Amino acid sequence: MLESYIPIMLVLSFALIFAVVMINLSSLLGPSKPDKEKLSTYESGMEPIGTARERFSVKYYMVAVSFILFDLEVVFLYPWAISFINFPKAEMVYSLIVALIFIFILFVGLIYEYKKGVLKWD
Amino acid sequence: MEQTIISLKNFIPECVLIVTILVCLLADLIVRKKSAVVAVIGIAGLFVSGWFVIGQFGVKESVFFGMVVIDPYSVFFKLLFIVSTVFIILFSLASKEIKDSTHTNEHVYLMISLTLGANLMASSVNMLMMYLALETVSITSYVLAGYMKKSKRSSEAAMKYVIYGAASSGIMIYAMSLLYGYTGSMNIFEISSILSKMGGTNPMLVIVMVMILAGFGYKISSVPFHFWTPDVYEGAPIPVTGFLAVTSSAAGFAVLIRFFSVTFLKSTTMLNGSLQIIDGIRWTEIIIVLSVASMIIGNFVAVWQMSFKRLLAYSSIAQGGYIMLGLVVANQQGLTAIFVYLVAYMIMNLGAFYALIMISNKLNSDDINDMKGFAYRAPAVAVGMGIFMFALSGIPATVGFVGKFYLFSALIESNMIWLALVGMMNSVVSLFFYIKVLKYMFLSKPDEENSGKIYYGIAGYVLLFILVIPTLLLGIYFGPIVRFAEMSAVMFGLK
Repeated sequence: MLESYIPIMLVLSFALIFAVVMINLSSLLGPSKPDKEKLSTYESGMEPIGTARERFSVKYYMVAVSFILFDLEVVFLYPWAISFINFPKAEMVYSLIVALIFIFILFVGLIYEYKKGVLKWD
Repeated sequence: MEQTIISLKNFIPECVLIVTILVCLLADLIVRKKSAVVAVIGIAGLFVSGWFVIGQFGVKESVFFGMVVIDPYSVFFKLLFIVSTVFIILFSLASKEIKDSTHTNEHVYLMISLTLGANLMASSVNMLMMYLALETVSITSYVLAGYMKKSKRSSEAAMKYVIYGAASSGIMIYAMSLLYGYTGSMNIFEISSILSKMGGTNPMLVIVMVMILAGFGYKISSVPFHFWTPDVYEGAPIPVTGFLAVTSSAAGFAVLIRFFSVTFLKSTTMLNGSLQIIDGIRWTEIIIVLSVASMIIGNFVAVWQMSFKRLLAYSSIAQGGYIMLGLVVANQQGLTAIFVYLVAYMIMNLGAFYALIMISNKLNSDDINDMKGFAYRAPAVAVGMGIFMFALSGIPATVGFVGKFYLFSALIESNMIWLALVGMMNSVVSLFFYIKVLKYMFLSKPDEENSGKIYYGIAGYVLLFILVIPTLLLGIYFGPIVRFAEMSAVMFGLK
């Protein structure tokens, strides 16, 4: 049973050796002439402003959470929509109702968010 | 499709709960301030769900493709959860901590969501479903523990709870994956029959058992997994603490008992016959160790506590140890004893927490030192608290005695006398700290500056009285709960 894991072991050890060797090689072979400009934070060519440990407003997280909610809704509805056409006639109404219940439960979540003022930006 | 519709017919109580959650959520948005309306809707929904649960009594069916079963065992637990949730919602209306929080009525539907998860925990027979239900309960209880957003203690409690919960459920789901890899099935009945064929000599199974116990043991706050209990109980608002102590830990027991007595007993065994554990998997010995450790540590550490909430936390650890004693017997009688004890535990713990809510509403503290001479200031509440304390320690003529009596007699009948003795000696120790509270209340004079009488509204006294009555009455006339427990001690798939 353990023999079947040998390929995985090989891949893991190759990845480890490759990474270690490459990082060390580049620092050994590459020229190193640091100056103030080179050591500063890379910000797409702009002058760096402020600290990297800035705090974000909680609003962004709220948007992210609602994004996940509706993203998952799509993930669940997509296979349903694809196979809807293949359902027998009798089951179509049933499956439509089921999907609507699912959407309704998520819709209540959206109403909750809206009423609690999560979508208000200021 | 047909199977789903048939399954839905057996799933009405849970559907009612889901609808109640949604209606409460929308009602909270419409009301927009603290009001009893949402709580009333929630309680009404719980009653309707309870009515459908009673209709399920005697049904033995497996629904949703072997994910969930309806059997007397799960019906018992569902009723227990629903009754305790109704009480806890009533408590939360009385609690000053909930009233002072910045939230409006969120606690009502959070509590009903927890009940929904607990109902699923009691009825699931598939490891995946068990894990999902357990997470539903856990996540809602994290939110509830941090309900007082402005209070540092409450936030700390929620944080600790999340970290412990995430770690232990991670360990549990890893063990479940190992068990799935070994047997190739997620359904506990299939796992049981496969293990019976293969034998349990593989040492990995012991590791799996201990790791799964980490997940369930954290829910019931059994000893090596109990470290979150005092801090979370102390930080959370008292109604939530009561909820965690009663519903959440009873749900943990529901899933623990079903998992262990189905998976690791020979699939040919009758539950009421002699004990036949799958060879090599001696899970009862692990349970004995956990149970004795819970009783000893819970009771002895509680002796030093001066915070009433911490005292009740350690007391609930110890009570969990007593309940596990019934699991060690692993037959019909043990299960009946567990059920009797759980009913008793629910009544007296709810009572103790309610009396504590009444006290700390007025004193703004849960320190036992501040309760000096409370009996002179509010005699009715102090007497009520006294009755619940006596019941928790298992004094005769209270419901706590009946629970302990059935547990110890089940142990003695299966020749585990030393274990029964350990339990009894622990009861003696527990008497000390339960009575210590009463000593402060009744025997010390109140301080000069605050010795005025304290009055409560009539509703407060009525609720206290409703909880005192069964504590005393069922202690003398305990036939009904014993018969109910005997009827309920029937699991799907076990004769």
